[in-house]
Amino acid sequence: MSPTEEDFELELRSLPGVLNVGISHRASGDVDAVKLVIHGQDCAAIKTIASQIASLYYPDATVSVEDASQASTHRIAETSRVALVRADFNADDGICEVQLSYDGRTGLGRAGSGQLFGGAEATLTALRDLGFEIPFYLLAAVSVATVRGWPVIVTLRSPSSDRDMLGIAQSERDLVSSSMATLDALNRFLATSQKKE
Amino acid sequence: MSDASPEDPDLYAQNYEPWLFQTMLDELSASELGIGFVYSVLDLLALRYQLTDAIVVLVHESFGTQSFRLGRQSVLPELVESLGGVAGVYCDPDVVPDIERDAVRTACQLALSLHLARFSAAHDPLTNIANRRAFDTALQASSVRSARYGWAFTLVLCDLNDFKAVNDRSGHAYGDDILRQFGFALRLSVRQGDTAARIGGDEFAVILSNAEGNESAGFIDRLRANLESAGVQIEFTVGVAASPHDSTDPVELFRIADARLYEKKGIKH
Repeated sequence: MSPTEEDFELELRSLPGVLNVGISHRASGDVDAVKLVIHGQDCAAIKTIASQIASLYYPDATVSVEDASQASTHRIAETSRVALVRADFNADDGICEVQLSYDGRTGLGRAGSGQLFGGAEATLTALRDLGFEIPFYLLAAVSVATVRGWPVIVTLRSPSSDRDMLGIAQSERDLVSSSMATLDALNRFLATSQKKE
Repeated sequence: MSDASPEDPDLYAQNYEPWLFQTMLDELSASELGIGFVYSVLDLLALRYQLTDAIVVLVHESFGTQSFRLGRQSVLPELVESLGGVAGVYCDPDVVPDIERDAVRTACQLALSLHLARFSAAHDPLTNIANRRAFDTALQASSVRSARYGWAFTLVLCDLNDFKAVNDRSGHAYGDDILRQFGFALRLSVRQGDTAARIGGDEFAVILSNAEGNESAGFIDRLRANLESAGVQIEFTVGVAASPHDSTDPVELFRIADARLYEKKGIKH
């Protein structure tokens, strides 16, 4: 990467709201296309400035701009998904820590009941930290043997009715599986609620 | 590569191979720490752990949240949003030990900071063209080459006309916008190898390499055309001095160009 390309990318990243700069090259090595991902700024205005900057360094390069917040809103509106950012287990104190993101915000939850139960509890706490009112409590989190591995099933129960929600997920670690299964259960609940509305 | 696993912290610490630090030193010996270093480290991380994808997310006090993806690929907006501005290294497959993730994140953060510091030390923040310090260095270097080898160059000083009145009439935000657009027009008008700089409030300077004095007319025409096409309503006055014709001393050359500029403005020093 030449110093000129480095400065080019630095100038683009200095523009307000820019979160990511992707650059593709031609076979000749020249910059072919530049794609910016921005948040909370006017796409058209940023594209104009970015195109001006590109014209100084690489006049033939095409510039495109995408708004992360628009994409996220669209995605959430479609599926009502909360994303798992990370799930860590501290073996020294036995605490699970789960971080979730939703609509550009993050929520953090901790629990100390082992990786299966703790992962699910920490996920519920992180959801409450995000401001969600969760109408369920954790009933069970178990891993089950299948021919394809050890998925985790989480059961949530509503205190106001007998309605249980199940979620299932499988990953490399029980903690992550448990957290994802909890989100799966809540996403099923959200999807069902939206259908009813 | 060590066989120690991060699940055995003591053993891992004993056998930990500081490949990243060696890589940093190798990279530093080849180039300065900057954005290129971030991608080099991601390339090496991918090679070492056979990753198909890797993203480092940094939270920088000047840039805000920034993400860099393996191979300089763009990151899907949904993914950027879902990472939620949480600094870290995200890998696929998720096999990189935390100690190395932390080292990568810290090194990349440092690289971005140093790149910004290096860029800021040489550039004017409003116009992104060279600042006075970088201009003085470039003028000194051009003068030395001119005196030693007879290489010609032309110094052009530009002063915006009645800029104070523009600021007073339309406000400082508008004035800043004029300066920004003038700086951009300067960048468009110079050739590769020339230096365009903002050396004062509304004072700009250009070093035209390999140019006798008369080449400055072509540059000024390009500048006027670029300002016109951008719709920038501002007039400017220039003072020109050529090296070695007028002088090979940078201070004297600047004084001559400055005197010619003020002569055109009808102001006597």
